[in-house]
Amino acid sequence: MEKFKNNYIIQAWLVVFLSLCFGSALAGVQLVLSPKIEANKINETLAKVPELILGKEGVKRLAKEGLSLKINPRIIQIKKNNRIISYKVFQAIEKGKVSGWVIKSSGRGYADKIELLIGLNPSLNKISGLFIIEQKETPGLGNKIANLDFRKQFISKNTNTAIIASKTGATSPNEIDAITGATISSRSVCSIVNTAVKDLRSSLKKNQIKPI
Amino acid sequence: MAQDPTSFERFIQGIIPENPVYRQLLGLCPTLAVTNNMKAAMTMAGAVAFVLFGANIVISLIRNLLKPHLRIVIFTLTIATFVTIVDRFLAAYMYSMSKALGPYIPLIIVNCIIIARCEVCASKQSVITAGADAIGQSIGFGLALASIAGVREILGTGMFFGLRVMPLTWPDWVIMVLPPGAFFTLGLLLGTFNLIESKMAKNKNKG
Amino acid sequence: MAEKKQEKKPGQAETSITPHIQVAFSPHFSDYSLTTQKVMMDVLIALIPVTGMAIYYFRLYAIKQILVCLISCLIAEAIFMKMRKKPFSLFDYSAAITGLILGLSLPGPAPWYVGVIGSFVAIGIGKVIFGGLGMNLFNPAMVGRAFVMISFAGVMAASGYIDVKGTVDAVSMATPLNAFKQSGTSTAILDLFLGFTNGSPGEVSALACLLGGIYLCIRKTASWEIPTGVIITVIIIGGLSDFLSPQEGWTLFHHLFSGALLFGAFFIATDPVTSPLTPRGKFIFGAGIGAFVMLLRLFSGYPEGVMFAVLLMNAVTPLINRWVPHKTLGERKKQR
Repeated sequence: MEKFKNNYIIQAWLVVFLSLCFGSALAGVQLVLSPKIEANKINETLAKVPELILGKEGVKRLAKEGLSLKINPRIIQIKKNNRIISYKVFQAIEKGKVSGWVIKSSGRGYADKIELLIGLNPSLNKISGLFIIEQKETPGLGNKIANLDFRKQFISKNTNTAIIASKTGATSPNEIDAITGATISSRSVCSIVNTAVKDLRSSLKKNQIKPI
Repeated sequence: MAQDPTSFERFIQGIIPENPVYRQLLGLCPTLAVTNNMKAAMTMAGAVAFVLFGANIVISLIRNLLKPHLRIVIFTLTIATFVTIVDRFLAAYMYSMSKALGPYIPLIIVNCIIIARCEVCASKQSVITAGADAIGQSIGFGLALASIAGVREILGTGMFFGLRVMPLTWPDWVIMVLPPGAFFTLGLLLGTFNLIESKMAKNKNKG
Repeated sequence: MAEKKQEKKPGQAETSITPHIQVAFSPHFSDYSLTTQKVMMDVLIALIPVTGMAIYYFRLYAIKQILVCLISCLIAEAIFMKMRKKPFSLFDYSAAITGLILGLSLPGPAPWYVGVIGSFVAIGIGKVIFGGLGMNLFNPAMVGRAFVMISFAGVMAASGYIDVKGTVDAVSMATPLNAFKQSGTSTAILDLFLGFTNGSPGEVSALACLLGGIYLCIRKTASWEIPTGVIITVIIIGGLSDFLSPQEGWTLFHHLFSGALLFGAFFIATDPVTSPLTPRGKFIFGAGIGAFVMLLRLFSGYPEGVMFAVLLMNAVTPLINRWVPHKTLGERKKQR
């Protein structure tokens, strides 16, 4: 009897019992909430696609006409310096015609990784929008890259020439104004955009899927 | 042993006399990490309140079954369960906030306020007292976070809850929303709190 | 910046309750003619050429910045000393020197609140919180400057030095270090040496810094080991980087005469409270500052690094004191 009482499994019956209770409770929570969480994750990028390609006005027009964009997400791999880099690309199709592309790309910022979405026009030579998904730049300075004022400078920039962040104010058409006190963050965004566009332009042009 | 405090005493104590941040110096990790704006701080306070309340109630319900050498395991198990629920809930309904708070929500598991309340109050007293204790401590924690986040957000961005309260010409004290600002603010507020406390104690002695 | 000395005024020692412990290595000569006041007076004299140059070259910008910092530092000292119920003495000049150095190291066109906040942080968080004069861990002026530098990067960073609508020519151009970091243009050495460039009012003229600094060293108010350590390290690392990757037009002399290097080496790093006690320790301290400055200049996003270098080395000062203890006269090497 004494031996039975000192058995540690018996001693820990409450722990085991509670683990089972809590485990099943958590499983229930997960079951109920996981579709919602997954949807959030997808929406985060997918929901931005129409605006990045068509602009705010375009999205309004689309909603008025009761149409919606068909979005084909795909992974494109390219080989660069003997390494394979894969990009997530969304091809947007409106009324059977390609209306634009959105590239998801990331790169090193001042503090940490910057992750962003770049919208391009169908012929891939103009930027139609930019959105910062994730950044941990200095609050008050570098995190201004996520503001519309900074992002809208990229719209309708030509992608044939690299975009340069200028400290002293943009003068030529391929320049944008860097954020005061956050030149490095501004340059990082430019370089991420430039690299992604350069990497993908030829391969996207080559294998454009014919919209059905 | 002295008489255990009553429910009402527990409730009142948590708010100021035994404020978890300013008097007990517990839970300083979220206090320093997520107080650069009010929204994040209040979400954190809400999450902690939920976990603390849940854990206190459950522990109090099973307090007579606890074995001394296994109690910490059970505390941790209970707290972890409630934290996971909060974490999933935020991810489902407040996705951007959940992303902004990042690892600090899962880290509530190791927030010492909760385990301290389980140990000090819930494992010894009735459900009602434990519940009152949880609410009092949560209000205290919330007030502490609000005071620090308020100072940091107003000085650092000129805003409060994301709304502009300072004139547009207000120069943002960027350092206040960066980690050093948390230490400056906590230190200065803690000092002020102690100063008031000692003045009040002196007055009491005189009277 | 030799703004603090452990020597307390006799009157002060009697009024306080806790005993004062003098921290100095033997031999303990007590020279009562060397009061805090006298030391501070020396520093003020040494700062005359720098201040003169700043006012001559930056006119109103320098005068405004220096006055703002000076007055706010004195007010801050008065308030905080009253709060701590300690006797307040304006006349040991320490707060005045903190203010003067802060004013000289802030960009001229920076708005007034930068100077005010910087001064209050310098005196409050930099000095009084640690227990006041002689107890502080970090150089107060640099604490204040770091606070406003990070807070108001928009008006404090490179672009803060430029005021296009300015009435003085100097403030319409980029600072030499920044011009080089951003666009690779270098400035003529003679201009750097004499000080006809943009920058913080106090740092522009290498000549004025040298004049004041050498005076301080001759008067033994500042220890010569610290500036020597800084300069030698900068020469070595600057020379190496010159040799390994010659950058167009940016030579060793540019490294030496540009930015706050000489100003920092002579007036900021030499603060006796926040620097090590032994001569060898002082040299290591100076060398560390030089190394950090070069590291920050060559590899970081900031064009200049004197402020951070001094603060970092302040933090390791206690370690240096332990690492290089004073050798007693006649002491033998320990047998192992």
